[in-house]
Amino acid sequence: MKKVLLQSAVTAAISMSLMTTVNAQDNSSLDIGRLAIAGYGDVTYISQPSMKDEEGNDVQNNVVARFVPIFLFQMSEKIHIEAEIEFSTNAEGETETELEYANMHYFFNNNTIITAGNFLLPFGQFGANLHPSWINKAVSNPGLYGGHGGNGSLGGITSILGDTGISIANIWDLGDVGRIFTNFYTVSGPRQEEGNHGGGVEMEAKKGDNNGSMAFGGRVAYAFLPEWEIGVSYYTGEYSDDGDLNYSAYNIDFNWIGSYASVRGEIFGSSAETEGETEPKVEGEHGEEWVKDFDKNGWYIQGTWQARQLGKAWLNPVEFVVRYSDIKSDFDGSIGHDFEEDAGKIGSRMYYGVNYWLEPSAVLKLGAESTSIDNEGAGHGGIVDDRVFLQLAFGF
Amino acid sequence: MKLVQLLLPFIIVTSIGASSISAFSVQAQHVSDPSLVAQGAKIFSENCGRCHNARPAEEYSKMEWSVVIPHMRAKAHMTGKEALAVEAFLGSTLTSDIRNTVSHEKSDAPKRTGAVLVAQFGCQGCHQIKGEGGTLGPALDDVISNKGEAFVLKKLANPKFNNAASAMPKYPINKEDMKAIVAFLKH
Repeated sequence: MKKVLLQSAVTAAISMSLMTTVNAQDNSSLDIGRLAIAGYGDVTYISQPSMKDEEGNDVQNNVVARFVPIFLFQMSEKIHIEAEIEFSTNAEGETETELEYANMHYFFNNNTIITAGNFLLPFGQFGANLHPSWINKAVSNPGLYGGHGGNGSLGGITSILGDTGISIANIWDLGDVGRIFTNFYTVSGPRQEEGNHGGGVEMEAKKGDNNGSMAFGGRVAYAFLPEWEIGVSYYTGEYSDDGDLNYSAYNIDFNWIGSYASVRGEIFGSSAETEGETEPKVEGEHGEEWVKDFDKNGWYIQGTWQARQLGKAWLNPVEFVVRYSDIKSDFDGSIGHDFEEDAGKIGSRMYYGVNYWLEPSAVLKLGAESTSIDNEGAGHGGIVDDRVFLQLAFGF
Repeated sequence: MKLVQLLLPFIIVTSIGASSISAFSVQAQHVSDPSLVAQGAKIFSENCGRCHNARPAEEYSKMEWSVVIPHMRAKAHMTGKEALAVEAFLGSTLTSDIRNTVSHEKSDAPKRTGAVLVAQFGCQGCHQIKGEGGTLGPALDDVISNKGEAFVLKKLANPKFNNAASAMPKYPINKEDMKAIVAFLKH
């Protein structure tokens, strides 16, 4: 039923886009270029003297760096190609290379863009638009995005970031009352983690589709610019190798942008079907098979305030950031499974930061975060999970 | 899979249809069109700051912007016409010099009034004047009485002098232009 709704929405989006006959993009008034390189990078020092790994060993303080160029190529006024590659050093000093996305935009008409290839999925705001370090006002990611650059005891919700497929984006201008953005896509979808019997979902796009079943998703947002944007996202796909277990997720995001302050947040939930069987009543026989949902959900809210509002010249580049993240999973330990590491966690994370802007796209961030795991029976229970960050982030 | 099957015929049919419309039949309106520049300034002000600090035009050359804007059109959900207006705004603020310095201190060009300059460069895209305009930057009605003429002249010459993170472009204007803008803002 959900897929039917999504299919209907996509069909409607395409059909309505046909009604517009405006050209994809009128001729530019700039000197036309072919290639541009944009992107971002950062250097981050992390101090975490109280942290221990699962064996109780000290976790080292470390310095990590990233350089993330985006290669943009304008083939014509209707076709635009882009690719982002992340080069990074990890805590062990090794260099890692990862393709973030590589895709082609086809500017179909004034309001419609078709994208094919590997792209960042429009699921919420953080993964699609806000995660680059010079855009992310905090050094770390919201707690519920623990799977994407998260750290410590608070395991995140399986992030829906990038995948390979096709999408169609539309803009519906409502005049003075705002505008609506729609974005629907179909992609390879989630996979079952190797050696896992259910519940372990991974989103590694480079591995392709494992079960011949595509995932579907979309985001519908209402924007009243320049201040408000509220979006609802949904994603669903079969992840098990035999295609009988489903992973679905939803996200509600909002942005409020003022002249000196901003508030943004997301509510994010996921549900992964997991299967197993009960203990057999008679030794040597099979138990009763079951399928249960393994749910995780969380939310975060982040506020920023620019001290230039005070009118003191020396405070103009200073910005303060506060973020609260909350996450929980409903696994109660009754299912014996491989994902116990994240089982039954109810946790929260606070982040406080001060940013000093060196340029509009270069910032020095000082931040501290503290994580609280409320149920000590879960993994990492009782271990202090605090850290201090110093980061230089830049966009180019 | 069904969705792909559903999408493909639409994409093929509509692609053929779109190409028959002629993608490039409408000529660009020139950057000297003040209404287009003002519209672009407003769109720039309203959209760029949704995710990140707005970046002053001089961070890229005109040719680089022409490639970056389609990328941002997709990211920021801008229409093609809006992207064109933003390009017009950015183009209006850039010279061919990568440092965006003006080479015509002794220009034979006719003198421009402050009102013309404010309209030409789309100042109200980011600033309110008499209640009209954007909110990315501060309102300008009382800026002369509050900050003084010297401050405004310095800000026009070097927008980052008091705030390194300022998104205000360094406009290709000479001292006479700056004085004209100050005179306009006095009234």
